[in-house]
Amino acid sequence: MFRYYLDLAWRRCRQGPSMVLLLVLTMAIGIASCMTALTIFGALSGEPLPGISPYLHVVTMDARQAVDANNNDYDKPDAYLNLTDAKALVDAQRARQQVALAQSYTLVGRPDGKQSDQVQGLLAHGPLLAMLGVPLRHGRPWTAEEQAAQAPVVVIDSELAQKLFGTEDAVGRSVSLGSGSFRVVGVSAPWKPRTQFLDVQRNQGNVLGQPEQFFVPAQAALAAGVGPLTAGECGKGAAVVSFQSAEVDKCRWLEVWVALDTPATVAAYDRFVAGYADAQHAAGRFVYPPQVALYGVPSWMSMNHVVPDDVGLNLALAGAFLLLCLVNVAGLLAARFLRRQADVTIRRALGASRRDVFAQHLVETGVLGLIGGALALPLTWLGLWIVRMQPVAYADAAHFSVSAFAALLLLSLVVGLVVGILPAWRVCRQPPAMQIKLG
Amino acid sequence: MRHIIQPLFRHRLMPLLVLLQVALACAIACNALFLLQQRLVPILAPDGIGQPDKLVVAWNIASRGKPWPPSRLREVQASLRAIPGVAAVGLAGSLPMETSAQMNGDVIGEGTGIQADAAVYIGDHLREALDLQLVAGRDFSATEQGIDYRDIGINQSGPAIITQALADHLFPDGHALGKVVRIGRDADAARRTVVGVVEHLMRNKLEQDNRSNIDYSMLFPGVPGQWPMPVFAVRAGVEGDAERVRQAVKATITRELGVEMIQGFEPTYQMYADMRANMLAKSKAAVWLLSGVSLVVLIVALVGIMGLTGYWVQQRTRQIGIRRALGARRVDILRQVQIENLLVVGAGIVLGMLLAYAVNLWLMRHYELSRLPWIYLPFGAALMLVLGQLAVLAPARRAAAVPPVVATRSA
Repeated sequence: MFRYYLDLAWRRCRQGPSMVLLLVLTMAIGIASCMTALTIFGALSGEPLPGISPYLHVVTMDARQAVDANNNDYDKPDAYLNLTDAKALVDAQRARQQVALAQSYTLVGRPDGKQSDQVQGLLAHGPLLAMLGVPLRHGRPWTAEEQAAQAPVVVIDSELAQKLFGTEDAVGRSVSLGSGSFRVVGVSAPWKPRTQFLDVQRNQGNVLGQPEQFFVPAQAALAAGVGPLTAGECGKGAAVVSFQSAEVDKCRWLEVWVALDTPATVAAYDRFVAGYADAQHAAGRFVYPPQVALYGVPSWMSMNHVVPDDVGLNLALAGAFLLLCLVNVAGLLAARFLRRQADVTIRRALGASRRDVFAQHLVETGVLGLIGGALALPLTWLGLWIVRMQPVAYADAAHFSVSAFAALLLLSLVVGLVVGILPAWRVCRQPPAMQIKLG
Repeated sequence: MRHIIQPLFRHRLMPLLVLLQVALACAIACNALFLLQQRLVPILAPDGIGQPDKLVVAWNIASRGKPWPPSRLREVQASLRAIPGVAAVGLAGSLPMETSAQMNGDVIGEGTGIQADAAVYIGDHLREALDLQLVAGRDFSATEQGIDYRDIGINQSGPAIITQALADHLFPDGHALGKVVRIGRDADAARRTVVGVVEHLMRNKLEQDNRSNIDYSMLFPGVPGQWPMPVFAVRAGVEGDAERVRQAVKATITRELGVEMIQGFEPTYQMYADMRANMLAKSKAAVWLLSGVSLVVLIVALVGIMGLTGYWVQQRTRQIGIRRALGARRVDILRQVQIENLLVVGAGIVLGMLLAYAVNLWLMRHYELSRLPWIYLPFGAALMLVLGQLAVLAPARRAAAVPPVVATRSA
């Protein structure tokens, strides 16, 4: 029966080719615009670190140690802590994993000065690589003992190792970092989060994660004169921003990230941090009530507007446009089906049930939908190409993927069926006798 | 009228689908055009910079560690001034179209208590270098220009030049000169006395919607201290000479400050026009996208209405023939189809307005978007009515051409 319906659909398509073209094109444009927006939205709204980031939370509190008349109300949650507080929270080990970190950007070179590269990396206190799931190709992460002793050790990524030493396995070699010589204890695979969520303040304007090419214990780095990209919040009288400075002892510059598995552990950790912060407030270190809050990755990213509003707005616009196209096609299809009422009534008179007529018309619209989807494929590709040409920070996310292709196929079939339901239902309600009499 | 309204209810499907399409198209078009207009604001607004082809801007110059003291920056400014062919050199904390570092905040007109979010540009010889048009008052004096702030200067009292738009907003009585503007709400907030008013000066912190405050800017004299990213605005004397000046500026700044800059960050030496084009590229791209979307939405709606009305007319050929045989003129039939369309489209527009408003409310809740101005609604309505009449023109003509003899046929 299905094949017979297909055959009927094919014959009917040949009857009014210009109308069919119009229907199919409208569907294709609607599907393609929706797919383009959806591809970008999907690429930017997923988990930044699949399987890991859902458990990560950032600690925020009002840890200011001086009165700030311009922001008495603490208008926005603040994740930056000074080294003392960050260390205290990390060393307490009250979460499954915890680490304090800050974005850095500095020159890493060979001790002999023959090769060097300006690269982005993370200063950290705690088991950074294990918590973020940075894969190691050679060697090991730094140990708690090395960190406590402020031993000059570093983990670099394989691309930096290749560039500096001509080989990936750089374990045991030394690199110069600031004024110090650091021993490479591990080499990681190239690593970056899918979207930026760590230290967003120092990564403003980046939507997509950037490769982190070195990882180094924070205190050892500071001792060698390597600081975070910007000094963070250093209180009144200090510069608004100072770049690449290691004189951060008066600044709040580290984010504390913790891995927590269940709502219960999140609540327990929240209580622990609140207790710590309240004690600091009571002791007079924090001048304001601390207002401790933990944020998961998605809410932290949306609060900091990591993904620009455009992405969501464009998706909403494309979705509404697809809806318009659906109504449009449904109307044109209804007109097309009802024009051939005579055929239907004859089929009905010859014994076809309403269900048969309904199914026949649904097959026809399903086929049209699939053709529309096939046309939408090059159009989507074109749309993504246009987005890649745009001066937007997420341009690199505009790539066609296998999952996008599957979604497109599904979407076009659904579109074909949805637009067909109303016209098909309308046409199968025709009573058989009436039409024959008239015809 | 009854002969027009009744058939609409008897054959509900077609009018309903037209109505739905109009409503959707109306809601999308209103919101898309609103977004489009927001993106157009910074492109169309005057930035106040005179003769942009002669202006070279050096920015993204960041000091490593401690910021350069103002005295050091003034030395660099002097060496830039010494380049042959340079007419003026401004030294500032930030400039229009420059986003690496900005100063913004709420300012309050003393006496009126009116508040505004304004951009503050602090710098030496800025009015001259940017070639801003003074419309009232005076430029800063040499002593005022000579101030070196110990902090960034935004919390220090002194003179200020403000834009006409800001002056009109803070002091609606039209007398801004000599008045005081408070910088911030603190009790000890800085007080700046207005000594001059310039025609335009665009702010550099652009948000989703800057329709009202795009031209709210203030100019303070002096050089900010503790500011890590100074900007130099160098005005060439002759237009054709600008590229040579740009190269000389690059060479001078590299020589003077190169070793003290942060590593891996290239300073930018640009003609102001290029800087502006780069800065607005995103807005321009969005304008193209949104105009494209609006256009396609309207075309789709047009084609849809045309197709549906065409079928509807065809379906009622016999009735039309009867009306013609009973004495209706061609023009009556034409009017009938047109009025029908007007009613259906009108109903669609009413629904579409509500929908447009609801969509706008939803967008406002989820994105930093402002309220849809009411003026969009009648404008959108008129657009859809015209569109509907255009779409129905061909089917209505076909209906009017139905000869009375059709009535005598059986189908």
